[in-house]
Amino acid sequence: MAVSPSASSGTAAPGRLAGRAAFVAGGLLLAAYPWAAPNAYLRYAGVLVVLYAALSTAWNLVGGFTGYISLGHAAFFGLGAYATGILVVRTGLPHALALVLAVAGVTAFAAAVGVAAVRVRGSSFVIVSIALVSMTNLVAQNARWLTGGSSGLRVPPLVEGLSRTANHVVFFYLFLALLGLVLATWWAVDRSRFGAGLKAIREDEDKAESLGVPTTAYKVVAYAASAAFVAAAGGLYGIWFGSLDPIFVFSIVIGANMVLMALLGGMRFLLGPLLGAFLVAPASEYFLLAYGESQLHIVLSGALLAVVVLFLPDGIIPALRATWRRRGPRAASIQERSAAELAAAREEVPA
Amino acid sequence: MTTLAVHGLTKAFGGVVAVRDATVELREGAVNGLIGPNGSGKTTLFNLVTGMIRPDAGRVTIGGRDVTGWAPHRIAGAGLGRTFQLCRVFGRLTVLENMLVAVRRTRLRELAGGLGNRADLDRARGWLARVGLEHLETAEARDLSYGQQKLLELAAVLMADPALVLLDEPAGGVNPALIERIAALVRDLNAEGRTFLVVEHNMDLVMGLCDHVVVFDRGSPIAAGTPAEVQADGRVLEAYLGV
Repeated sequence: MAVSPSASSGTAAPGRLAGRAAFVAGGLLLAAYPWAAPNAYLRYAGVLVVLYAALSTAWNLVGGFTGYISLGHAAFFGLGAYATGILVVRTGLPHALALVLAVAGVTAFAAAVGVAAVRVRGSSFVIVSIALVSMTNLVAQNARWLTGGSSGLRVPPLVEGLSRTANHVVFFYLFLALLGLVLATWWAVDRSRFGAGLKAIREDEDKAESLGVPTTAYKVVAYAASAAFVAAAGGLYGIWFGSLDPIFVFSIVIGANMVLMALLGGMRFLLGPLLGAFLVAPASEYFLLAYGESQLHIVLSGALLAVVVLFLPDGIIPALRATWRRRGPRAASIQERSAAELAAAREEVPA
Repeated sequence: MTTLAVHGLTKAFGGVVAVRDATVELREGAVNGLIGPNGSGKTTLFNLVTGMIRPDAGRVTIGGRDVTGWAPHRIAGAGLGRTFQLCRVFGRLTVLENMLVAVRRTRLRELAGGLGNRADLDRARGWLARVGLEHLETAEARDLSYGQQKLLELAAVLMADPALVLLDEPAGGVNPALIERIAALVRDLNAEGRTFLVVEHNMDLVMGLCDHVVVFDRGSPIAAGTPAEVQADGRVLEAYLGV
């Protein structure tokens, strides 16, 4: 029999039911979005938001569980995009097959890189991850015979002759499906023994190792799984967008956004990165619109990152929960006392 | 045959030789004590036998098997469990999750399906009941008192069912009542067939608990025997008191 970590906190049952209802309602609202969006631009922005939610949740498979902060996950985004695009353009494979092969290839690459990368901890790992995205960017820029270099790679659309608006709708649902898959994966890992091992690594890696957890293998698996989803998002992005340029996909900004969104929402929570993406991606788009080609949106992202790290290290989800508890009906103390103790205490109270 | 033995073990940090050509054999089925002045190499020896650091020379064997240079998780798999000097638990995991991190011989299928099977959960709850933490299984470990964390750490180590348990200063920072409780627990576990190695500064505890004591000084064992023999040994007095 399996238990979830929170299964036995008795007061949670109605709350969890409400949570599930909200989850379903949220999903339906999201699915209705392309039909509610008044214009093509907002449909496009919607795709971008869901794409970022999927990326950040995928990043959180390694970041949230193990505490290893990768700023270079855009490397897997770019590799997924280019591998898919190149397979379609150069070999004429169908898009779906190209995407599957690209994801498999990037996953294998990530596992190999992971074996080396997860040997270093803390800020050293961050630096290694940045080096990875810089290197992949340089390779993509210089291998012009394969990638087209900085003049770009044009990827033929999924369906010839489809209007741009219809294309946005199709990819909105494709990214939404990917997001659902990543969320389901994170949820399953969270309640598994594998997940407990990963979280033990985050809390105290040497201690986990001393208890018999094969920490390197765990970290590499989490890293490769995370990269697989990011690569899938990259591949879909390439087909959706139709043109690729190394500096836009192998971009430190994309990697930093994944981290910012997860941190803002809350890395230890299933919906943390999603919430962060829903806040940061629209804001970022808005500033791009309002202030054009200036780099202001990047500056603002940086400022927001600093604020989150300094004042909300656990993200907004725990802060929201605390507010909710203070306002809501007084919840009983959660778990300091056993049922038997409570019964005993009740008997002591004179009738 | 001994459970744990080291032969000619040497480890230097820069110019400081922390452990020098040490040869120690533990008594199987006994509570072994390891004592010595500060800086005598006790903790380094612990870290060497648990695989946290690699020796410059010498061998470590567990049950006759050479485990020198093995990664810590493999040494744990060979039946060695340890606690840490400053108690270490997984702060933001629940007490029950802490217990289920360490389960031996996990199959791949079990890694994906839930926190643990019925047998593991029952065992986890059994150990928690034994150390008196069963009512706290859904609490986060960081919310426990220091004494409770020490008990949780020990219980979590026992989940892996180690034949040999290394305790690094089990009495450090806990009140006398809890020290007595931990000592009683160690005696019971020992009676059930587990071998212990206890590093401790509390001499009353060492003398009351251990069957066999090894004394370290400047990186090497200088004496070994029953608590009474060791206490009567002139070299031990010299090492401790400098007389």
